[in-house]
Amino acid sequence: MRISILLKPLMYLDPGSGSFIIQMLLAGFLGIAVAVRIYWKKIVAFFGKNKSGKVQDELDELDEYGEQQDSGSEED
Amino acid sequence: METKTEAASFRDPSGFLFFKDGALYRQINQGYREHYDHMQTSGLYESLIAQKLIISHDEITGMDFPDPASGYKIIKPDVVDFISYPYEWSFLQLRGAALTTLRLARAALDHGMILKDASAYNLQFHKGHWVLIDTLSFEIYEEGVPWVAYRQFCQHFLAPLALMAYRRDQRLNLMSRLFIDGIPLDITAKLLPSRTKLWFGLLTHIHLHARSQKQYADKAVSREQVRGKISQQALIGLLDSLRNTIKGLSVPVGGTEWADYYGETNYSPSAFDEKKTIVSDFIDKAKPERVWDLGANTGEFSRLASDKGVFTVAFDVDPSAVSQNYIRVRKEREENLLPLVMDLTNPSPGLGWGHCERQSLMARGPVPLVLALALVHHMAISNNVPLGRLASFFSQICEHLVIEFVPKSDSQVQRLLLSREDIFNEYTVSGFEAAFQAHFAIIEKRSVSGSERILYLMKSNASQVVK
Repeated sequence: MRISILLKPLMYLDPGSGSFIIQMLLAGFLGIAVAVRIYWKKIVAFFGKNKSGKVQDELDELDEYGEQQDSGSEED
Repeated sequence: METKTEAASFRDPSGFLFFKDGALYRQINQGYREHYDHMQTSGLYESLIAQKLIISHDEITGMDFPDPASGYKIIKPDVVDFISYPYEWSFLQLRGAALTTLRLARAALDHGMILKDASAYNLQFHKGHWVLIDTLSFEIYEEGVPWVAYRQFCQHFLAPLALMAYRRDQRLNLMSRLFIDGIPLDITAKLLPSRTKLWFGLLTHIHLHARSQKQYADKAVSREQVRGKISQQALIGLLDSLRNTIKGLSVPVGGTEWADYYGETNYSPSAFDEKKTIVSDFIDKAKPERVWDLGANTGEFSRLASDKGVFTVAFDVDPSAVSQNYIRVRKEREENLLPLVMDLTNPSPGLGWGHCERQSLMARGPVPLVLALALVHHMAISNNVPLGRLASFFSQICEHLVIEFVPKSDSQVQRLLLSREDIFNEYTVSGFEAAFQAHFAIIEKRSVSGSERILYLMKSNASQVVK
């Protein structure tokens, strides 16, 4: 309870009622999607990923995984 | 000692930026204390620094708070060489900033925090990486509460990216210049083709999101009412869904008016190399600390400066050329080059509250050196800017100027004159020199053999202070 009292005045953005409601409506589905995706990744990893080789994907790797994991991600 | 609050730093009560004796600092307010401390003790800050995802800072002790009643700490963030804005980025740049924002949000959750705002203006391309520059963007995560910054993320990132991708035109990114808090979702939904409703990502995050905003526009939903309604797993699902949606968006790069420019010029390869040698030599003579290359195309000449370790901004009007330049920067891990989209005939204005939240291009200068290669004819002939006004403009943005004069006999200028009457009597070598000598001293003048083009190194007469 103490935390929420502290948090309250800091919420300076108006999240928008509609933006809150749609998240709540999607919540169940998105939660399940995460679980499904974890299993799906395992299946894809088992059969080996087909890389598109597009420039955009190369840049995505930098933004999503950074430099350090760069070399490792090629084996994904 | 002068203390001045930064003009764009007023929305978030967590703290604010200020300048003191020319250096940039951030006051962290007492109200943000627990969150700041949590960011440090949870290891979030350290982790983000290691991943190069946030601007680094030092805590400053012994300095008076600009606002003593609310002050908790003062930090001194690392300085970003040039603040650029989302409407100056190409599609791939905005996409990179969006994916980085989602990565930040995930990293925060792993440390018991959440990203409390998702403004595209909080991201900057700094030393070859997208980094968060607002250190106060995190708050302690309260399980069950929806993502406060969801609306902002969709407006700042998803809306312009979807519009560019589905209308296959990067110029739509300029819409972000019209709306200070991102493109409203109702307008985005109207402008997107109907087939985007068939795709889960855009159906939910844009179309249904916009409808929900409209339906609940006048209804209050408090944080208490929504508490416990969205689990952490669902929140991760939301972030993943946004990520997949953004990863599914693309715009073809290349094949536009300017992207093939170097293949089409009337230079011989030796003249091109000679031009490079001369420009490189002029850069060495000017010894600049920072460079703006105006009309940089894919950055061929910008790299003459950036490869010497000089921070260089490469502006071009064509988003495809900027995209190609950006791809090269990322692929070759270049740290001193920032490609940006800029129409010099209508450059970025001062925007937001009091015209001060987002600075105009000129307000972000002047710089020690400007490169203006193969540019003057476009300004003077395509855009009818008299040479005197061009010279005056350049004198306000730089100390040294490397400028190329392309005479009327050049095939590129002939091309511009094909469909119009030649009303440009002053457009001659002597007319050009006379106009520029009103503001600059010509230090050196060299012609490129095998062409009729002339390169100049000039120094501004104005004894202005270069930032």
